[in-house]
Amino acid sequence: MPTPCTEDPPWPEPLRGRLAVGADAEQVADAILALWAELDQALNPIIGHRGVAALYNRSLNLTAARYPWLAEGHQGVLAAVDLGALQAALSHRVPAEAAVGGSALLQSFHALLCSLVGASLTDRLLVSVWDQPSGAAPAQDNAS
Amino acid sequence: MTTKATITRLATGVPGLDEVLGGGLPELSFNLIAGQPGCGKTTLAHQIMFALATPERPAIYFTVLGEPPLKMLRYQQQFDFFDSEAINHRVRFVSLSDDAMTGDLERVLKRIVEEVHTHGPGLVFVDSFRSVVFAGESAGAPPMSLQLFVQQLGMLMTSWQATTFLVGEYFNEAHANPVFTVADGLIWLRQSVQRNSMVRKMEVVKMRGQPTLPGLHTLRIDRSGVRVFAPAQVVATGGAGAGTAAPEARALMGVPALDEMLGGGLPRGYSLLVAGPSGSGKSILASAFLAEGARCGETGVVAAFEQHPNQARNPVLVDLIARGQVGLIDSRDPDLSIDEIVLLILTEVRRRKATRVVLDSLSGFELALAPTFRTDFRESLLGLVTALTRAGVTLLMTSELEDRYTDLRFSPYGAAFLTDAIIVQRYIEVDSRLQRVMGVVKVRASAHSNELRLYSIGDEGIRMGEMLPDQEGLLGGRPSRKPRPGPPATGSEVA
Repeated sequence: MPTPCTEDPPWPEPLRGRLAVGADAEQVADAILALWAELDQALNPIIGHRGVAALYNRSLNLTAARYPWLAEGHQGVLAAVDLGALQAALSHRVPAEAAVGGSALLQSFHALLCSLVGASLTDRLLVSVWDQPSGAAPAQDNAS
Repeated sequence: MTTKATITRLATGVPGLDEVLGGGLPELSFNLIAGQPGCGKTTLAHQIMFALATPERPAIYFTVLGEPPLKMLRYQQQFDFFDSEAINHRVRFVSLSDDAMTGDLERVLKRIVEEVHTHGPGLVFVDSFRSVVFAGESAGAPPMSLQLFVQQLGMLMTSWQATTFLVGEYFNEAHANPVFTVADGLIWLRQSVQRNSMVRKMEVVKMRGQPTLPGLHTLRIDRSGVRVFAPAQVVATGGAGAGTAAPEARALMGVPALDEMLGGGLPRGYSLLVAGPSGSGKSILASAFLAEGARCGETGVVAAFEQHPNQARNPVLVDLIARGQVGLIDSRDPDLSIDEIVLLILTEVRRRKATRVVLDSLSGFELALAPTFRTDFRESLLGLVTALTRAGVTLLMTSELEDRYTDLRFSPYGAAFLTDAIIVQRYIEVDSRLQRVMGVVKVRASAHSNELRLYSIGDEGIRMGEMLPDQEGLLGGRPSRKPRPGPPATGSEVA
């Protein structure tokens, strides 16, 4: 089992409140995939399966520039989201790394959506997703 | 003892559309918005949706295979009516592309029905309808025909008490599409392109159960969304700016001698045409008319269609505008239509409770119009004059007149017969000087002077002078001194 991060919750914004301190890579991967599933659920009815897949693949492409390991094993399929590959990629890193990479991917997805439809509409569409963790998260107690 | 069904009419939230529809949109109707790509169908649908959707009457907007929803949201949010807060709340977007891609219309219909069952919307939009058709065709012989699909959809939506819109791309008008028969309402959007000008138009081809305004109505799309310009005459009946004046009431022109010539001023509610060559002082007379109004506590509106916007305006007018006694309409929008201008003027008239309107000049006005309206300029002008006088204002229009000394003309547009009163200005040559003469040609149903009098323009405006009784042939531009013992003048009246 990989050693948990020694510092206090290093979890990036999207994962805050979804992971306990000392979560392992599997749990990080699960949390990211759960978050993704919520994003997908929020957007799928509106922009369609293919629309979501196109955004995901673009986000992955952008994020892989910084974290090439994220795209490992990813099948460049046009109309689908290769979640198996993502899960595998995440589970093979140390938890902190997986969390940072996975969050970067989600944030990149969020930023892409923002650039296309604007921040206020993005917030509106994803209100169910981003609201949840912040509700469960301790108020930014570690902010210096 | 019959208790008829009451049809509630919904206000669409699109300025002018309710008038064109004949009093709003019938609730539970099944409507079609058709037209070529880019003519504003989706924008119109969105605007109606955001205006009508409430938490009690939510809307579902189904996107099929046309414009990708992401792009649609990206562009539509640029409009003022788009409300992000409403989404997933009183407005719901549902993509049907995955279902439509199979080409199975039955499946598409099933999805629509499912969503309608789940969310119970009062408004349903399907965009675009054309792609539903394509989806059906691409799948070979569809198990469900298009007509059946539409017919079923129409029936289901009405039963589910939803007002429905099918947004369709270009339909071939000549082809009697069965969809047209099924629909209760058919709104057709068009773009008319002539040279470099493009004018958007709307036609309500049908709207069951109510008297729509026939013909093509211009519309404009800007940040605020779609604005439809209902015909001038309809807009004018909305209420008079000044109320109807007593028939004997007169509006003074600000040039006392001219008022005398008019028989005591211009009758209120009349339209006056001031025709004259360039530099004869038409605009100065128009300013005097507005200034006189301001002096009596009246407000005015001037619609300026100058070819040189930067040219210094008459200081009297500038002052009146600065003091807020005169509203200026100086539209630089391209491709104007008469209906749009009338609406601009009437809005300003109502806002300021104005009683006097100046349109300076008809020539500039014609140039400001989109080419497509220039061909029937006279009809349009009639519409404008009727609308404005019906609104109760007294109207003064100036008209540039080419100096032609061989014939007596008042307006290049044959506008003379449209107006109630005419004043003509002319240059004449007397004793090697260029002089100006002015005469009142007509004042409908009122006695007026038939004098042709000299006038001059000074710092204080127009000053009327004397007649030239010893000259004749003034209108020919080159008068000659009459022989001394002349016979009494007969038939000199210009009626």
